Amino acid sequence: MKLPWDTRDKRKQDLDEEIQSHLQMSARDREARGEPSDQAAASARRELGNAGLVRDVTHDQWRWTWLESLWQDVRFGARLLRKTPVITTVALLSLALGIGANTAIFSLLDSVMLRMLPVQKPEQLVALGMRSQKQGSEANRVYTNPIWEQLRDHQNVFAGVLAWSGHDFNLANGGEAQNVNGMYASGEYFNVLGVRPVLGRLMNSSDDTRACGGVAVLGYGFWQRHYGAAASAIGSQIQLDGHSFPVIGVTPPNFFGTDVGSRFDVAIPICAEAIIDGKNSYLDERSAWWIRVMARERPGQSREQTEAGLAVLAPQIFAATLPPDWKPDQQHSYLKRTFVTTPAGTGLSWIRGQYERPLEMLMVIVALVLLIACANIASLFLARAAARQKEIAVRLSLGASRTRLIRQVLTESILLSAAGALLGVLFAKWGGALLVRFVSTKQTHVFLDLSMDKRVLGFTVGIALLTGLLFGVLPAFRATRVSLTSAITGVEVQGDATRSRFHSGRWIVALQVALSLILLVGTGLFVRSFRNLVTLDPGFDRQNVLLVTTNVHNATIPPSAYVAFYDQALTRLKAIPGVTSASQDWMAPMSGMEWNEDIEVEGQKTPAGEEPLVWFNWITPDYFATLRTPLLAGRTFDARDSANSQPVVIVNETMARKYFPKQNPIGQYFRIPDSTLASKKPLQIVGLVKDSKYESLREDYFPFGYIPLAQISQAPESGVFELRTSVTPATLIPAVRDALGNLNKGASLKFETLAQAVDDTLAQERLLATLSGFFGGLALLLTAIGLYGVMTYVVTQRTHEIGIRMALGAQPLSIMKLVMRDVAALLAFGVGAGVIASVWVARLVQQLLFGLKATDAETLALAAGSLVAIALLASYLPARRAMRVDPIKALRYE
Amino acid sequence: MKKRYQNRIELLQGTLDLLVLQTLRWGPQHGYGIALAIRASSGDVLQVDTGSLYPALHRLERQKLIAAEWKISENNQRVRVYRLSAAGKKKLASERGRWAKISEAITGILNPAAQENEA
Repeated sequence: MKLPWDTRDKRKQDLDEEIQSHLQMSARDREARGEPSDQAAASARRELGNAGLVRDVTHDQWRWTWLESLWQDVRFGARLLRKTPVITTVALLSLALGIGANTAIFSLLDSVMLRMLPVQKPEQLVALGMRSQKQGSEANRVYTNPIWEQLRDHQNVFAGVLAWSGHDFNLANGGEAQNVNGMYASGEYFNVLGVRPVLGRLMNSSDDTRACGGVAVLGYGFWQRHYGAAASAIGSQIQLDGHSFPVIGVTPPNFFGTDVGSRFDVAIPICAEAIIDGKNSYLDERSAWWIRVMARERPGQSREQTEAGLAVLAPQIFAATLPPDWKPDQQHSYLKRTFVTTPAGTGLSWIRGQYERPLEMLMVIVALVLLIACANIASLFLARAAARQKEIAVRLSLGASRTRLIRQVLTESILLSAAGALLGVLFAKWGGALLVRFVSTKQTHVFLDLSMDKRVLGFTVGIALLTGLLFGVLPAFRATRVSLTSAITGVEVQGDATRSRFHSGRWIVALQVALSLILLVGTGLFVRSFRNLVTLDPGFDRQNVLLVTTNVHNATIPPSAYVAFYDQALTRLKAIPGVTSASQDWMAPMSGMEWNEDIEVEGQKTPAGEEPLVWFNWITPDYFATLRTPLLAGRTFDARDSANSQPVVIVNETMARKYFPKQNPIGQYFRIPDSTLASKKPLQIVGLVKDSKYESLREDYFPFGYIPLAQISQAPESGVFELRTSVTPATLIPAVRDALGNLNKGASLKFETLAQAVDDTLAQERLLATLSGFFGGLALLLTAIGLYGVMTYVVTQRTHEIGIRMALGAQPLSIMKLVMRDVAALLAFGVGAGVIASVWVARLVQQLLFGLKATDAETLALAAGSLVAIALLASYLPARRAMRVDPIKALRYE
Repeated sequence: MKKRYQNRIELLQGTLDLLVLQTLRWGPQHGYGIALAIRASSGDVLQVDTGSLYPALHRLERQKLIAAEWKISENNQRVRVYRLSAAGKKKLASERGRWAKISEAITGILNPAAQENEA
């Protein structure tokens, strides 16, 4: 096909010339016949008529006719769709929801898994990991600062290396904490990435030297929120954890850092960690793992060259950074470590590991929903095609080609799916933002760039076309396969042709039932697994507990006075009206932090390959009373337990079972040989408490030991107060703020309820349960609509037959049976296929479940039961109509 | 005005196409020549309207039933000359058959007596 624009002008000129030559020849002939030459030309023109018009009409023959007929089809399709507003609305809504949900989940998947970082040549970026021979294939991607400095100063393998570490900084100077998403970045971080400032300058290596003064680079969003996008931000000072840094520049709007799932607000050089953490600085710590490293590969350098370079580099670096206090075998394996690279153009992400499976699961769920919606629309279209068969027969007999008619029907369905996609994109925009809010918690605010990129757009256009074809093809072929005579005369409508058409409608509904069942089973599994988690007894009572995290880093209290400060604080908190009981510990449940140590039990040998690891926490005496963790034996801590008395410990059931099986643990002793916080002397077990969850509800119970704060050799600068309240916990926040503020203005505070902290660990499960619940319900609704539509159609088709049966004496109930028998067969088939498919598919989700098997019979029965109930209800209405057919009317109708 | 021309094209379409193809069977010809030839071979009965002829020619060209090229006539004038393509020849054969059937049928309808007499 020639493009009309290229040849258009040329053709017009040619046509003009052709017509001119015609006129000249005509005139010459007339002259030859004896007409005077001036008259000859005039009469030739007269004979031709309007030359311009002739030219135009002739030119019209070359127009792009298929485009025009396509436009005709579109307009005709739109008219047909408008003529059946109910069907069109139902179809459009289910498509919008289906395509919208697919687009939303895909854009999330795209943003988490596929999208390249908005930096220069992201494809050159690799993440650097370490692998020791012993560790399996999993590479360790977290580094100590000494390793990073060695790498930075001695590597000659890459075009550049960069390092960073995410860290929350507190903007407030004492009082309630105001945390921002911060990051320690290496001096060349922005340069290696190729990120340019929109304002001021970004860091370079001279900003990141030992004993540096520190500078701050702002993220664009933070600059807008906190500085009103004022240029005067540059040169001002920003307070981070009580230390002041000069702001030097702002990064571009689309740059969020190198961690997908979060967006940095403030970046300061790695060297500034010494300013923030003071004498506890990690910069020279050889076993503090907190830095992540990426590198930019040299263009054109082969993989072998990179690997060879790293192989030379690794032994030197690890020899120079060997942790001196490690055991010999650990040191040996440390020295044998190697570097490995993995492509990192899409950035690194904690969210990726956590949400990859759930997102894939959701993708499958929404794809199923879309399939069900397609099946629904296909059966609606089939029913409508039956209504149109007379029109189609007329068109066929007038000489329309079948392909032309199929094209027309397909145009109509693609028109519908395109409209659905358009609505769906709006829905996706809203839904995507909602999803991100869903996975965000109070502690970790998730940021994802969900803007439409080419990939998402392509995906949406693709599925819109695909769905249009999917639900259009069968009706298109069916509709145009009509027996002309019977369709036009209307005789024999109840004959074979309609029956077979109904058959395909029936198959579609059976398929729909099967697909819905798979979805419902998934919904059941996720919802029940979520309920298992929510109703699980975590070993403490999460209701009505306020957690107050304090940090005295900037409170000008000497470390020796921390414990005294904590005592005073606890006394004041207990005095607040509404607080029934209060305690303090180091790491509150579900805070995600942990403290563990190897222990030694007198006379016990640890089995080879097993570490005698026990998890610990320090607490104040009322801890178990406040959290309502039952004491099973012995006593809790009290005033007896001081820095100078016998070191004591309370253990949980798992600890007792593991290290003192079949004995009374009370009165037994163990030691923590390497402890820096607890006493190195033997600890006497004085109490036994019920097991409780520590980091997440899904974990198995840890062997656990509790140590009294009074016997901790050096209390840390941060701790958590637990307040059990007789009122809504959040209402006490002002009183707590005042009480602690009066004690010391410099201590920073953070508030959270224990219930919220537990809830936040369930973000992933809640996401799956809520969304699969929503989509399961949607599938159920769509299936009901589909079934209702098909059964209504069947009853209409069989009105004549039913009329005859009733005239011959059939009872209404037997008519009902007649209709419902169809439904029963269809349901039996759909449910059977669905059960088999669900059992097969369910294995894939086992990993995401808690407290039940993927092949849980109860869930399966529940899903099948509710599906059958809804399906029967949906088909009961048309069946009742069949029962009430008036035989006289039905027979006259012919 | 435009509408009128289009209607006329529609009405004449099948027949005019057939006449053009038939005329080109005797050799390449330009538009004016085709019009003359049709008029002459119909004994001046059929006057080909130029407003229908050129659209028909271009339509046939687009359907690749005829091909066109610019040539210099004996009067030393640039003229667009059409000739029958292979597809055009095939089309002509089938259209002639169809025409024969139609005209036979129409004759039959117009002349029922003659048919009965023959029977």
